[in-house]
Amino acid sequence: MDTQNRTIQLRDFGMNHRTRTIPALVFSLGALSATGLAAQTPAPYTRSTESYSVPDVTLVDQDGMGVSLKAMLESREPVIVDFIFGTCTTICPVLSAGYANLQLKRPPGAAPLHLVSISIDPEHDTPKVMRDYLKRYRSRPGWQFLTGRREDIDKVMRAFNAYIPNKMAHYPLTFIRVPRTGKWTRIFGLMSSTEFVAECRKEGIL
Amino acid sequence: MIQRIEEISPLRTLFQALALFLLVSSSAAVAAPPRRDARAASAAPSREALGERMYREGLLPSGEPMQALVNGDVPVSGTAFTCVSCHLRSGFGSWEGGIPTLAISGARLFQPRFVKFPNLSPEERKRLKFRTPPVRPAYTDETLARALRSGLDPAGRTLRQVMPRYDLAEEDMATLIHYLRTLSTEAPPGVDARTIHLATVITAEVSREDQQAMLVPMNNYVTRHNQIPTGFHNRMDRGVGGIDPGGSYRHLSLSVWRLKGSPDSWPRQLEAYLAKEPVFALLGGLSYQDWKPIHAFCESHRLPCLFPITDFPVVSDSDWYTQYFSKGYYQEGQAAARFLRGLTSRGQVQRVLQVVHDGAEGRALAAGFQETWQELGQGEARQIRLVKGETLNRGLLESLLQLETFTTVMLWTGAGAFPALDGLADRPGRPELVFMSSRQLGPKLYSLPERARAYTYLTYPYRDPAYEPKVSKLADSLLTGIEKGNPETRISTRTYSMIQVFRQALLDMDRNIHRENLLDRISLQGDQSLPDFFRLSFGPGQRYASKGCFIMQLASGPSPNLIQKSDWVIH
Repeated sequence: MDTQNRTIQLRDFGMNHRTRTIPALVFSLGALSATGLAAQTPAPYTRSTESYSVPDVTLVDQDGMGVSLKAMLESREPVIVDFIFGTCTTICPVLSAGYANLQLKRPPGAAPLHLVSISIDPEHDTPKVMRDYLKRYRSRPGWQFLTGRREDIDKVMRAFNAYIPNKMAHYPLTFIRVPRTGKWTRIFGLMSSTEFVAECRKEGIL
Repeated sequence: MIQRIEEISPLRTLFQALALFLLVSSSAAVAAPPRRDARAASAAPSREALGERMYREGLLPSGEPMQALVNGDVPVSGTAFTCVSCHLRSGFGSWEGGIPTLAISGARLFQPRFVKFPNLSPEERKRLKFRTPPVRPAYTDETLARALRSGLDPAGRTLRQVMPRYDLAEEDMATLIHYLRTLSTEAPPGVDARTIHLATVITAEVSREDQQAMLVPMNNYVTRHNQIPTGFHNRMDRGVGGIDPGGSYRHLSLSVWRLKGSPDSWPRQLEAYLAKEPVFALLGGLSYQDWKPIHAFCESHRLPCLFPITDFPVVSDSDWYTQYFSKGYYQEGQAAARFLRGLTSRGQVQRVLQVVHDGAEGRALAAGFQETWQELGQGEARQIRLVKGETLNRGLLESLLQLETFTTVMLWTGAGAFPALDGLADRPGRPELVFMSSRQLGPKLYSLPERARAYTYLTYPYRDPAYEPKVSKLADSLLTGIEKGNPETRISTRTYSMIQVFRQALLDMDRNIHRENLLDRISLQGDQSLPDFFRLSFGPGQRYASKGCFIMQLASGPSPNLIQKSDWVIH
């Protein structure tokens, strides 16, 4: 319930960017609550178990190759999905640092784990931009960054209940899929490394 | 026949580039002032430069990446992200994904922080009727170092976990703090208590009609803006809450900088203009020639230039101060390459011939295609450049097609090539596809030979004309006083779009009127649906707002429609 409210408030902020009054009010409220929350550590995140139907779309990976998303995500390997973009300011760097760190923490010879980042700025995120991004995070094989037609990306965001009309108003989401059950664990918020590893262990994928 | 045309082989291009490089570097050596002190040139970079590099590139003075922990215990290296990623170049922060990143400019950090009216100067704050206590006292070097290392602010609060905790040695910490002390503290040139001074650049060859198409809407905007009484504006802002009662409102002044003569002399003329009248930013601008000298001038003076109307922008991943609408003709060539690659099945090899009219348009189109084609791993396309004034007739095209079996032809020529294009319909074993640029063809686009329409694709960098009138109508309010006599040029509508983006950025800057902040605020704007381009989008460091270009075909008949064959953005 709380999560839902927060989500709606964040969306409103993004959509009303052009009107002065509402963002100003939301901002003042946000700033006040921000100061109230500042002392709390670590930032809380929420998790839930969901069933999603992955749309049958073809996206493009960092090497410019077409990828069938449904086949890729609904495979026999565990998959983790997030939504990011190449020039994002705050959330994506933290999510991606989490991915990079998870790759480092996996013991050698561990079962395959597929990390997928889907661009929510498909206009700017060309394969070259995505390659450069992955390089900056020193990604290892097994982490793919996908872009594609805007309509397809919208479909994917909607399928994961993560649709945002304006990329600047997105929020931190991580989805973990366990092949055994086919269910998705939806994590709203940013996790520490320990928490991310613990979540993966809980699902039996690390 | 072939002797009359110049064939550009990759090797030859390389030689030319090398020759040009030698020429440029030798002339630069001549032009450079003699070094007075050889040691000065090789001296270590200044402390400011080292601090700036830490802030922007995440590199320590030693050259090693900065190391930090984010979100508790996630290690992150400066190569992945650093201060600038969230606080932005100006240091005025961002708001993204529900997470505010606070301003860390010199003035903000080293003064107490207030939630209400954060932008007031201490003197102004004294005049407030209701004063609230600060949420944190001013940072000192010691408390700032502690905050950067452990996340504890001087009020004893813990910073958000998304703020990395930096593991910095004393000396490196001091260098970064030294930089933060100065960040966005200089009074920006061209701004005083009442007015923001702006200029626009027009080069000599631009027709009077085109000049008016840009200047009338700009002047209308400035006039209207200046009619808002300052006091009224302040009261309005106060009513909303959260905006400073001191007001961010300034009048605008707009000068026209006219450049004469050859582009070599433009930098000198620009220097003289800027010395005589310091301006905050360049707004718009208009030239039929290569924008490069003006771009370079803005880059060297750290002078923002917003949406110049040019077909020949500088295409760069890293330059920062000029915000363009698009990559111009180059972007059309790019779209052709991506679209063609999408049509090509795996294992199939395209043999591409580019026929290029001598001139800037053709060269930019061909470069956009070639560079993208190579980036896509599709190899080299053969390029033939026509000599100046030469038309591609049937005989000439036939002789080119004899060179090898081409599957696709990029015809970066004008409508003079239409008879040759039409003739292809009869040719056994003709290339399957031909691409042309709708903008290079201009209004003659619609007289494309009937038989060629089935195999000719057109690059079209604007919204589908069927939907354009609805959107462009919005622009009319600012265009009072001019007729859109020549809508093909899209000068007045692009000026309108520029004004929309600038207006929003002016509001978003609030009182933090700094050149870098102007561009930072634009980079945080959401997507825009404005005339001409199907969509404009922004992001930190993104400098070409329109990322798209449709590939169209022409329907049959005497007054044909364009038929969309691609998405706006092609991957």
